[in-house]
Amino acid sequence: MNFHSIFPDLGPWVKSLGSAFPASAIKAAPWVFPVIETAHLLGLATLGGCVIILNLRFMGAGLTNERTALIERNLRPWLWGAIGVLIVTGLLMSTVVAQRLYVRPAFLIKMLSLVSALILSLGVSGSLARNEGALTRPAKIMAGIALAIWLLAITLFATSDGPAPGTLHLVCAGWLIAMAFGSRWTRILLGVCTVAMIVAAAVLTYFVYNPFEHYDLVNEIDRWLLRISALVVVGFLGWEVVGPKPAPRLTPTMTRLVGVFTILVWVTVAASGRWIGLGGGAS
Amino acid sequence: MLHDLFNWLQTVPGAVDGDPSTSWSGQLGASLHFWSLMEATHVITLMLFAGTILVVDLRMLGVAFRSTPYSALNNRVLPMTIIGFVVLVLTGLLLFAADPLKYYHSVWFRLKMIFLLAAAINIFWFHFRTQKNVTAWDAMESPPAPVKIAAAVSITSWILVILFGRLIAFTWFDCGSTKPGSFAYGFAECEAAMRESIAAEKAAEEEAAKAAAEETPAAEETPAPEESPTPSPSPSKKGD
Repeated sequence: MNFHSIFPDLGPWVKSLGSAFPASAIKAAPWVFPVIETAHLLGLATLGGCVIILNLRFMGAGLTNERTALIERNLRPWLWGAIGVLIVTGLLMSTVVAQRLYVRPAFLIKMLSLVSALILSLGVSGSLARNEGALTRPAKIMAGIALAIWLLAITLFATSDGPAPGTLHLVCAGWLIAMAFGSRWTRILLGVCTVAMIVAAAVLTYFVYNPFEHYDLVNEIDRWLLRISALVVVGFLGWEVVGPKPAPRLTPTMTRLVGVFTILVWVTVAASGRWIGLGGGAS
Repeated sequence: MLHDLFNWLQTVPGAVDGDPSTSWSGQLGASLHFWSLMEATHVITLMLFAGTILVVDLRMLGVAFRSTPYSALNNRVLPMTIIGFVVLVLTGLLLFAADPLKYYHSVWFRLKMIFLLAAAINIFWFHFRTQKNVTAWDAMESPPAPVKIAAAVSITSWILVILFGRLIAFTWFDCGSTKPGSFAYGFAECEAAMRESIAAEKAAEEEAAKAAAEETPAAEETPAPEESPTPSPSPSKKGD
C-alpha cells in the first residue's frame, strides 16, 4: 500500500510539484539538496536526544535524579524546534522527490508513524511530565489513538516487500532498551537468545543455504528470524515494563509503557524514512 | 601504503578463484539487505549519539538544564552516548569494509575523518584539562569560558562530521571527475586511485586492439561490467 493506491487521483498534482517552486529552486544548484538533507539529519539527532532522555526518564532510567517536569521543560524548546526543522526540511525534500514518495510504501508508513509520534511527543509527553508521570484521561485517549496508528504503520512496514527488512531497526531499538535498562536476568537470557539467533542466522543463510543459490529460501528464513526476534524482544520488553519486580517502581507501569512506546514510534519514523531510499519496492 | 592495504582488503580476502567481486568486501557491498541495514542503522543511531552529546553540550553552554549540576547530567547521559558511539563505529567499519577504496579516496570521507579527529582531541583536552576543576563550576548555571568553548567545538565538529558524512554519497569530487593537479585530486590521493583504473583501461584497449588485429568475430564476448554498490540516496537496485 502507498499514497498512490489510496489517492490515485493526486498523480498530476504530485507530478507538478517537481517543476514548481520550491523544488525548482532546490534543483537549481546541486549542493542545496544535500544541505537540506544534512539539516534534516541534524534535526533527527536533536530530536533523538530529547526523545530518548525524556522517555527513558518516564521509564525510570537515565536522569532519575531530576523531576520529569524539569526535564520536559528544559528539552521542550529543542524538541519542538527539532520537529519544526524536520517538518520544514522534510517538506522541501519531498517536493523534489514527490513522484517517488507517491508510490513508495515506506513513505506512507513514515507519515502514519509520524502522526503517532507527534501525538505522543507534543500531546502525551507534556501531560505526563506536568502530572509527574500520571496519565490523565485525555492523555490516555491520545496514547490509545497513537498506538492504533502505530500498529497499522508497523503492520504495513512488516508486510511491504521493499521496506520490510527495515523493521529490524525497531527490533534492535527494543533490544537495546531491554539490554540497557532490564534486570540482570533479562540481560542474561536476552543475551543468550541473541547469540543463538545470530548463530542460527549465519549458519542457515550463509553456510547451509546461501543467497546466491537459494535466494527465495534465504529471504523466507530471514523473514522468520525477524518475526521470531521481534516476538522475543517484545516478550522481554513487556516483562520489563509490566512484569512483577522487587525493586521499588520509580514510575507507574503505564508511564513506563508510554516511554518505551514513544521511543519506538520515533525510531519507526526514522527507519521507514531511511528505507524510502533503500529496499526500493513498488507497492 | 594505505591505498594498497585497502585495495587488498577490497579484492583479496575471501575471493574465489581470484575474482575480486567475490571477496568478503564485495559480498558485503552486494548483499541483499545487510549493507542497507548497516547504513540505515548508522544514520538512525545519530539520534542516540549526536542527540545525547548535544544535550550535554547545551548544559555546558549554560543553555539547557541550568539548574542541574553538569556532572549529574553527564553521568547519566554519557552511557547512552557511549552505546551510540559503539554502534556507529561498528556499522561505520562494516560500511567502510564494503568499499574501502571508495571511502579512502573520497574527499568528503577524509574531511569527515579530520573533524572526527578534531572532536576526539577536543574530548581528550576537555577530559584531562578543563574537567580537572569540575567541582568549581559543576553547579554554575553558566560555566566558565573554557567549558563553553569545549562545548562549542564539540557541536561544530559533530555538525561537520554529519555534513561530510552525508556528502560522501555525492560524487562531484570523485577521482574520476576531478582533474589531475586540482586540490581535490591531490587531497584524495587520486593518482593512486586512478592507477588501477588506468591500467585496466590500457589492458582493455590492448585486448581490443589485439582482437581487432586478429579479426575474429568470436572475440566479442566482452563480459558485462560488474555493478558496484553505490551508497547513493537513489532507489537501490536491491529488491526493486
